[in-house]
Amino acid sequence: MKHSIMFIMITAFFVTPSITLALNVNDKAPQFEAESTEGTISLQNYLGQNYVVLAFYYADFTPV
Amino acid sequence: MQAFQMDLEKFEKLDAQVVGISTDSIATHEKFSKEYDLTFPLVSDGDGSLKRLYGRGRVTYLIDKKGIIRFIQEGVPENRTLLEKLRKLQNGKQ
Repeated sequence: MKHSIMFIMITAFFVTPSITLALNVNDKAPQFEAESTEGTISLQNYLGQNYVVLAFYYADFTPV
Repeated sequence: MQAFQMDLEKFEKLDAQVVGISTDSIATHEKFSKEYDLTFPLVSDGDGSLKRLYGRGRVTYLIDKKGIIRFIQEGVPENRTLLEKLRKLQNGKQ
């Protein structure tokens, strides 16, 4: 019995990180630097002065 | 993205910078921006690395001035909801 509990705990420890990879509210937003229509931008540059609305979308010239 | 442009002044008044991200090239983004008079940056995530970093598909993140994610909206972004969340953040209510 003790062994099976240990086994579950160890398995959970290794399996959980891959499941909880998605970001959640109150997580730190991952830093990035990327090319944009206004040159290279980085999240770091906005912090301290702006909130950032980071909108992922499928493609240009598509509805919505 | 056109919807964001329509309410851009409201976002800016609340100290928010709108950033759009898709896998389109900079050239396509520039054409798109010109066509719809977009005045906020569009990021080219050509290799999908940002998408992987943020781990979802069609999603909008509201990040506060300290770099903490304060709201996540899946699917089509709703300006009304996003602006409301921003107002609450500014007033320190959330």
